[in-house]
Amino acid sequence: MKNGRGLSFSDIGADWKLALDPDNIFWGIIPRDNGEFILPDNLMDLYKKERKHLDTELYNFRFNADLNCIYIDPTDRCNANCPYCYIPSRLRKQGAQMTAEDMDKALAKIEEHFKNIKKKPVIVFHAAEPLLVKDMLFDAIKKYRKKFLFGIQTNALLLEKEDAEFIKKNRIGIGISLDAASADINNRSRVTAKGGGNFKKAVQALDWFNGYEGLNVICTVTKYNVDRLSELVKFLHKKKVPCVLLNPVRLTQRRAVNLKPDDMLFARNLIQAVETAMELSRKSGRQIVVGNFANVILAIISPAARRMMCDISPCGGGRTFLTVTADGSMVPCGEFISMKEFSGGNIFKTSISSAMSSKPFKKIRTRIVEKIDECNTCSFRHICGSPCPAEMHARGNIYQKAAFCEFYKEIIKYAFKIIAEDKVKYILREGSLSQMQYEYRY
Amino acid sequence: MIKTKKAEKKTAAKMNTISYHMKCAQTANGLTHFVMYGDVPKKKMPL
Ligand SMILES: C[S@@+](CC[C@H](N)C(=O)[O-])C[C@H]1O[C@@H](n2cnc3c(N)ncnc32)[C@H](O)[C@@H]1O
Ligand code: SF4
Ligand code: SF4
Repeated sequence: MKNGRGLSFSDIGADWKLALDPDNIFWGIIPRDNGEFILPDNLMDLYKKERKHLDTELYNFRFNADLNCIYIDPTDRCNANCPYCYIPSRLRKQGAQMTAEDMDKALAKIEEHFKNIKKKPVIVFHAAEPLLVKDMLFDAIKKYRKKFLFGIQTNALLLEKEDAEFIKKNRIGIGISLDAASADINNRSRVTAKGGGNFKKAVQALDWFNGYEGLNVICTVTKYNVDRLSELVKFLHKKKVPCVLLNPVRLTQRRAVNLKPDDMLFARNLIQAVETAMELSRKSGRQIVVGNFANVILAIISPAARRMMCDISPCGGGRTFLTVTADGSMVPCGEFISMKEFSGGNIFKTSISSAMSSKPFKKIRTRIVEKIDECNTCSFRHICGSPCPAEMHARGNIYQKAAFCEFYKEIIKYAFKIIAEDKVKYILREGSLSQMQYEYRY
Repeated sequence: MIKTKKAEKKTAAKMNTISYHMKCAQTANGLTHFVMYGDVPKKKMPL
């Protein structure tokens, strides 16, 4: 690694050449003329000047960032049966469930762990379906709202109007799962336990939230909906949804493997969805952000401002966040829910610090792109991050490149094109751009 | 072949070389792909 450091060059469409230091994400986009390009001397000067500082910034972001988010799985059970779900169906049917007392114990322990830290930690209620125990969650939020920022991820099946009001009033982040703009397609992958789907309830929820700033929609992209992403963006924009994630399906469970969309098809459709989002945002003056693509842009222009910790190496699991499952077990990420060997302790018995320094957590923190064949020579390794270790563990070996490698390459190239065309302002949330400042500019 | 030359003259007429880096005063740094924004603004923002 020490030798051979420097800029690598690749084409971004026909018009641009990208110069990139893969080890610290210094980049320059240089116009081409009949395929030729001239590397400006002063770009090299800028690179030499900024190199050390960028090295340090990325190093600290990768290895010295603090724990700041805890996912709590209040119940492992679910009222749905989505075919790709990474939680085994056995758990979703008979899994553990926290009591109100358990929940209070867990939150008290988390509060104690963060007592000397100024920034409020984020607590996200997740797992299988958290609204199965919504009264317990809302009571916990009432008690701890001054201590934590809260988020809830749900399939919306049990959401009622007054719940939406409570969530809005308390400024709680809310993620609703919806895979398509039509019931027939959505309900193929978002299947309820009784056999229907969540389309009607999820759309009703969007109407109740009515443009609430803390709302985001998660769409899990499979071969069922991959060619309908743009349509979904249009639908959600009409419903005033400010942010949507178009996440690749993780192949953690065998059942999900058959649902994987083709990489190039997914890339083309994601790009189309981003173009749709930009056009709608521009024309209407009301923004819809494709969150996972915005995150790729951030990875390039402000790597340490990234919000999503899957697409970074090592990922944020067991590092910037961890998951407490319903039986109290602490795992690096919810994806490890059924892998007992990744437990770093139990929140009812052992400390959060001991989980953080446990062997399984270290194993995830040391799963870095430098150790993965192909990724170790890939120019995009610190933009893509080669997710995800849990998925790869389930597939036999954590040191494998991302299942969606070709997809990532395409969208990263597209992200550089967006930057070259000065369209970043349409991609990032307006509020987040205004908080950012230039450290240098060629 | 990579040519290095003073950049006083840009070859392509309208297009310039671009390179920048930004810093964010407030970052969330902690969410998985499942949830995007745990940090909902305190005050209502105009939509
Ligand atoms: C596991 S669910 C838990 C919360 C709630 N039951 C729900 O569906 O929103 C959280 C999110 O993970 C997504 N998800 C589940 N299995 C996945 C997989 N294999 N790959 C990617 N996302 C997945 C779901 O679509 C959902 O948006
Ligand atoms: S609703 Fe959520 S937890 Fe339940 S099966 Fe679907 S993705 Fe899994
Ligand atoms: S998964 Fe593919 S795109 Fe990502 S770092 Fe590895 S080789 Fe590069």
